[in-house]
Amino acid sequence: MPHRLIPARVADDVFAFTVASPQQAQTLANHLRDQNMAEDIVAGLNSVAVRFHPARALDVAAWLSDIQMPSEAHEIPTHVHEIPIHYGGATGPDLDRICTALGLSHTAFIDLHTQPIHTVEMIGFTPGFSYISGLPDTVKIPRLSQPRPRVAAGSVGISAAFTGIYALNGPGGWPLIGHTEEPLFDANSASPFRLEPGQRLQFRAV
Amino acid sequence: MLHILNPGLQSTLQGAPRIGTRHLGIPYAGPADPLSMDLANHLVANPQNTTCLEITYGGFEAVIEQACSIAITGARSDIRISGNPAPAHTTLQLQAGDTLTVAPPLYGARSYLAVHTGFQATLHFGSTSTYLPAELGGYQGRALIVGDILRPNQTNLFKQIRKTPDVIRPVFTNAFALRTCTSAETHLLSAEARETLFNANFIAGRQATRMGISLTGHRLDLNSDGMMQSAAVFPGTIQCPPSGEPMLLLCDAQTTGGYPRIASIARCDRHLLGQIRPGASVQLLERSPKAALADFSAKEHLLQNWLQTN
Repeated sequence: MPHRLIPARVADDVFAFTVASPQQAQTLANHLRDQNMAEDIVAGLNSVAVRFHPARALDVAAWLSDIQMPSEAHEIPTHVHEIPIHYGGATGPDLDRICTALGLSHTAFIDLHTQPIHTVEMIGFTPGFSYISGLPDTVKIPRLSQPRPRVAAGSVGISAAFTGIYALNGPGGWPLIGHTEEPLFDANSASPFRLEPGQRLQFRAV
Repeated sequence: MLHILNPGLQSTLQGAPRIGTRHLGIPYAGPADPLSMDLANHLVANPQNTTCLEITYGGFEAVIEQACSIAITGARSDIRISGNPAPAHTTLQLQAGDTLTVAPPLYGARSYLAVHTGFQATLHFGSTSTYLPAELGGYQGRALIVGDILRPNQTNLFKQIRKTPDVIRPVFTNAFALRTCTSAETHLLSAEARETLFNANFIAGRQATRMGISLTGHRLDLNSDGMMQSAAVFPGTIQCPPSGEPMLLLCDAQTTGGYPRIASIARCDRHLLGQIRPGASVQLLERSPKAALADFSAKEHLLQNWLQTN
């Protein structure tokens, strides 16, 4: 039974919906983007934000007052991309702390991270940054209390039970476990992003 | 043609923001103070969003290699052409051999230099705006360095002299009062922290970049476990990490983030964010979304009246 979604106002020019999963967020965001009413439609992990031009405020409010969750298309891709990761060391400065918090040895943590098939749930933050699910829900790593002003491109972090890969240099608040040499963003390519929501990944320790 | 002798701290080419690509993780970029850039473009008869030079904290010097019509707006800086004072907010005619200097500003942070027909720049994702972390747009995706040469799209001149009317000329000081709406996680603030957010004076922190400015002087008490699900943020969003020090996001803001979003600067005042420099005083004035949009509409009306004047 489809139910009506209630938009919340999160800025004078932004509404947001709360949904149940990253997949629902992607499905709803794609559906809303197809209607071409807003400036930007951005999926979060359990939310979708709609930023509009103030000149369209009334139209957008009317449009969003009657939105139902579209039915989801379930297509699980079969191809699994392999991402090599160098765990720990200078480029994974938080690995020790995370292992301690989880009560695991380095080896046990690396097994935990490299065994499952992970799924790219969302691209966001900066170009090519991917939010990747696959760790068990029992992993609950908080973000750093103060973000680092500079995190190197290729850094791999953990937040809650998500893995995140920084495709660019920049500030970042995720505790870092390692580094990959895999290029994730190419501004000059026709399809500049290697990873997209829905893709499946496996990490390999190098 | 401008031959750069000194680019200052950070000079980048900026055009339109990249509206419509945030779901790919691509930030807006564009001018940190779009109102000042609109005014600069109009002084040389360019359409809005024509590529301009954004100069940060002045200290800029260039030699002119071919006559051109320019205008400079934004931060309050001493401007000189071959040593002679020249006015801001006024069409200026430069001759080959002239030297143009923009001194460090007394107030504000960023100056906008428009040239008639706009500067040549690289297009990425439909915009010429420089986004430094991904080397998108602008002049090879980077900030200018000594010896770079900026070329206008065409070499013709704009021979009228336009001046921005006083009523729409923004005047910057070291104090900013910004209209602000609540956001998705405002409810996580303690009652005392909410009171502080909308009544206290904050001081802009030392990290003041095109991505964000920290607001210091008060730590906000927040009921958060650091496990928030990442969600969309935009220029104007104020995030609060567990440290309690709010972070105000600017034009290069990341597209999503996981720190609670405790407020959002109203669209009518976001252009001011590009002029806040370290040490400036920042006060947030709470407005309803409806009142904030009405204020935007009033400001936009005034601006468009002038931009549509020939």
